[in-house]
Amino acid sequence: MDPRNPLLLLFLAIPALISLSFATSPSADDLVAELETLRAQSPSGVIHLDDRAVSRFLTSTPVPRPYSLIIFFDASQLRSKPDLHLTQLRSEFALVSSSFTDHHASSPAASLRVFFCDIEFQESQASFSLFGVTALPHVRYVGPHHHSPRDSESMDQSGFSRLAESMAEFVEAKTKLPVGPIVRPPPISPRQIAFLAVALLISAPFLIKRILEGDTMLHDRRFWMALAVFVYFFSVAGTMHNIIRKMPMFLQDRNDPDRLIFFYQGSGMQLGAEGFAVGFLYTIVGLIVAFATHVLVRLRNTTAQRGVMLVVMLVAFWAVKKVIHLDNWKTGYSVHAFWPTSWR
Amino acid sequence: MAATAETKGPSTLRNAFGGVLGVFILLLIGVLAFSIRLFSVIKYESVIHEFDPYFNYRVTQYLTKNGIYDFWNWFDDRTWYPLGRVIGGTVYPGLTLTAGSMWWLLNSLNIPLSVETVCVFTAPIFSANAAWATFLLTKEVKGTGAGLTAAVLLAMVPSYISRSVAGSYDNEAVAIFALVFTFYLYIKTLNTGSLFYATLNALSYFYMVCSWGGYTFIINLIPMHVLLCILTGRYSSRLYIAYAPLVVLGTLLASLVPVVGFNAVMTSEHFASFLVFIIIHVVAFIYYIKGILSPKMFKVAMTLVVTIGLAVSCAVIAIFIALVASSPTKGWSGRSLSLLDPTYASKYIPIIASVSEHQPPTWPSYFMDINVLAFLVPAGIIACFLPLSDASSFVVLYLVTSVYFSGVMVRLMLVLAPAACIMSGIALSEAFDVFTRSIKLQLPNILDNPPDAGDMNSVSSIAQNDASKIDSHATTKSETVSKERPSRKNRKKEKEKEKENVEKVPSHSENKKRLLVLPLEASAVAILLLIVLGGFYVVHCVWAAAEAYSAPSIVLTSYAHDGLHVFDDFREAYAWLRHNTDVDDKVASWWDYGYQTTAMANRTVIVDNNTWNNTHIATVGTAMSSPEKAAWEIFNSLDVKYVLVVFGGLVGYPSDDINKFLWMVRIGGGVFPHIREPDYLRDGQYRIDAQATPTMLNCLMYKLSYYRFVETDGKAFDRVRRTEIGKKYFKLTHFEEVFTTHHWMVRIYKLKPPKNRIRGKLKKPKSSSKSSSSNHKRAGNTQKNPWQ
Repeated sequence: MDPRNPLLLLFLAIPALISLSFATSPSADDLVAELETLRAQSPSGVIHLDDRAVSRFLTSTPVPRPYSLIIFFDASQLRSKPDLHLTQLRSEFALVSSSFTDHHASSPAASLRVFFCDIEFQESQASFSLFGVTALPHVRYVGPHHHSPRDSESMDQSGFSRLAESMAEFVEAKTKLPVGPIVRPPPISPRQIAFLAVALLISAPFLIKRILEGDTMLHDRRFWMALAVFVYFFSVAGTMHNIIRKMPMFLQDRNDPDRLIFFYQGSGMQLGAEGFAVGFLYTIVGLIVAFATHVLVRLRNTTAQRGVMLVVMLVAFWAVKKVIHLDNWKTGYSVHAFWPTSWR
Repeated sequence: MAATAETKGPSTLRNAFGGVLGVFILLLIGVLAFSIRLFSVIKYESVIHEFDPYFNYRVTQYLTKNGIYDFWNWFDDRTWYPLGRVIGGTVYPGLTLTAGSMWWLLNSLNIPLSVETVCVFTAPIFSANAAWATFLLTKEVKGTGAGLTAAVLLAMVPSYISRSVAGSYDNEAVAIFALVFTFYLYIKTLNTGSLFYATLNALSYFYMVCSWGGYTFIINLIPMHVLLCILTGRYSSRLYIAYAPLVVLGTLLASLVPVVGFNAVMTSEHFASFLVFIIIHVVAFIYYIKGILSPKMFKVAMTLVVTIGLAVSCAVIAIFIALVASSPTKGWSGRSLSLLDPTYASKYIPIIASVSEHQPPTWPSYFMDINVLAFLVPAGIIACFLPLSDASSFVVLYLVTSVYFSGVMVRLMLVLAPAACIMSGIALSEAFDVFTRSIKLQLPNILDNPPDAGDMNSVSSIAQNDASKIDSHATTKSETVSKERPSRKNRKKEKEKEKENVEKVPSHSENKKRLLVLPLEASAVAILLLIVLGGFYVVHCVWAAAEAYSAPSIVLTSYAHDGLHVFDDFREAYAWLRHNTDVDDKVASWWDYGYQTTAMANRTVIVDNNTWNNTHIATVGTAMSSPEKAAWEIFNSLDVKYVLVVFGGLVGYPSDDINKFLWMVRIGGGVFPHIREPDYLRDGQYRIDAQATPTMLNCLMYKLSYYRFVETDGKAFDRVRRTEIGKKYFKLTHFEEVFTTHHWMVRIYKLKPPKNRIRGKLKKPKSSSKSSSSNHKRAGNTQKNPWQ
């Protein structure tokens, strides 16, 4: 699946080598045919370029070229950075590419002379400097009339948040060709759906019987209790904030990459792990109080009661103290009491 | 038997005493709820706060002056010029009518209070009411002790204080009372099965519909609970009486409110209630049939009905889905949709996403707004499940839904607050119950015969009674808790049980109680810890009320090393407008200041805080982000005479127009595509210093904010953005400064009259005309202004 596998590189390298050995500039039709073969070899229709391919298809060809390229700039070493969303954007780019190919499958060849390509930073650093790309994510359009790669037009940074839709708009605006509807693969395949349906059909009679007998997990009071407490934990941990804002679980310290930051100072934002930690502290105290009032009282052994009470009170005290401390640290508020002036 | 007759005397006396004490405590809770909200009046003055309250105040003034019929038909031509706004049909009238009738009542009692005073104190009065309603609701669920605790907690919960300090004259202030009271009446009907309470419930729901758009929460939560009861096999005639009248009467009454009208039957928010209404009738019918048929016949009838019923319901559901799917938003309003799909608003509706109270909260928000209640709620949830009654399942459902919604939108923390108070009240009172009982039952043993403290059998029941009498003063609260039980039925059973116990073996009940105690010293420490926790809550709430939530935001103060500074620039500017401009002049500003301008300056505005017309707001946003000449044309076409901008750069007031400017660009660009956000950003960063883009430095908002700013300190240092501004010396060509307030926070400009056509003069201001012409070119054939 990955276009950067060695087999594909081989395919890329061979035409380049052949062209070098002949040392004559190939005709425009040859280049188009070559690009079409490369596109056919990639499952999503995205051609992987390296420095040689760039020189072959872009810099050494006479202008106007009979084709235009849309290039996605990728870097495997930056894929681990969650805030760049490179992996996601790359797959969205492949979606646009395959949608475009599908849409134009039956149309004349001229409209198909738009090729989707990607370049990887580590293997083609020269090309990156040729284009003058310094920041990722980055998408470029190289039209038939662009002399040097630097002239090519880049996609607006703000568009990346809207993923494939804005990329398709960019392609449509530059090539004047419709991309067609973006076909996202369904989250589960038809075969899986069929399997699920069969499984459901087989289990349905048993399920209905259990429901009628009142013997499911849904009839268990403890299940609902756990669910209610979980929803509470989920909400007070600010998980919705993390989902909507797409917050990472933790950050890397900029000055010291080995250190991880779990707690963010400043009240407008929180990290994932931080939310869960505090949500846990919020919940644990309530559970302790409930435990002491409803379970511990039924215990017959007085010594055990005494011991458990001690532990439990210490834990609760620590949790409350920790949250107060963290809150003061995070928000910078200093909560203070108002005493009568004569008491001072 | 003789023993029961003897114990009856003191116990009735004790109940009576407990009742009086309870009323006294409730009175004090009311005083507490009222007085904790007076910090704003004491620290500042008796003044209406913020933005929306000014509109409500203006409406109330109109109501008291012209009467209810004129109010109902009021068309306001002072706002949304030139469109105007039908006020009577677009406001929730509950708050206005409440304050208006309070004012009328006071005046007819010869207590001459001004309308403003009544408006300022409406919110604190209704907070006291809300505390009492919470007491009633919690009492129905878990008894008097829990009720009193919950009421105390609600009286000072910071989340509710933030919306109901004196002067914060907004819908939520009365709506929370209406919400809790409606829930109380629902539970009361559910527990008693009385039609009287069911009717009251519908009326209370009507009041809630009048007061706040949040009524949809009620009309979805109650059906959910009814459905839950049916599914778990708890259907009863009481449930039917609690639900059916509410839907019928409530929907009829709700459609009487002009702003709701046919929405009460046409929008998806209400469909859940109708669906459950059908279901409950089917279920009621089945129960009825089951009662009159023999089991065998019933089975036959069941299969018949189920087959026909399935076919019919399938058809109905298909039609229903088709109907709903035919509307673009699936029949849901944008705000409700963003609750179900939290990412909806940020994608499609910038005007909802731009409001700070629609953001999802982080964990410190919970600690700020419900404080230690966040710790106690899980205990309350568990207490509600042991044992689970109809009432306690309802409060659990209320808590779970509201806590989820609060996680999506920070403003819905307000709906969570009562639920959190009820849950914490239950948790605290159960905990106190256990711990005080442990002390009460074991303390006498230690005092009587220290050597064998653990041996219970040696203690006679008479000694027990004496001890409880002595203790009764100190622990009346916990006493009442153990006495009262969720519903009347349960209570009866409980009493019967107690009787049985007393009659059979008195020592048996003692033994049972003995089992449910904790060690004495551990209980004492636990009580101490709980009291410390409660003390922290009180300290936090008082601090929040005094420091965080009492600023009226119309008058600002700051403490510096040389003492207190008061910034009263807003009222200064509005007073200037009121006294120095013609009564029919139009004033343009960003929508935040629309309500204040109409209420305080009595001048016509273009847009205001009722953001009903996005295009109109976008027009103003476009004018603010256009260069001077284009902006002048837009404003002139809207008959605008004065432009008002809020500028905090001199004193460091952070929520000024420059900080809101990107939203103006975004909202303007949403309608007029020639305004593009990247033109105002340098490498994705918003800046106003020398690195700013030329579009930014030439737009109207920049110029009006920073005009002559360099004359203040010679360097033009902006104290909000903490930088020197990019363009310091420039002249205005199409606007002239007419008024700037003392601290430069509000600046008012007048549009210059159109010039005579002299060719030479028009070319003089080079830079601005250049950039504007280039803008013109780029805009090309796009529509720029709908008013031309």
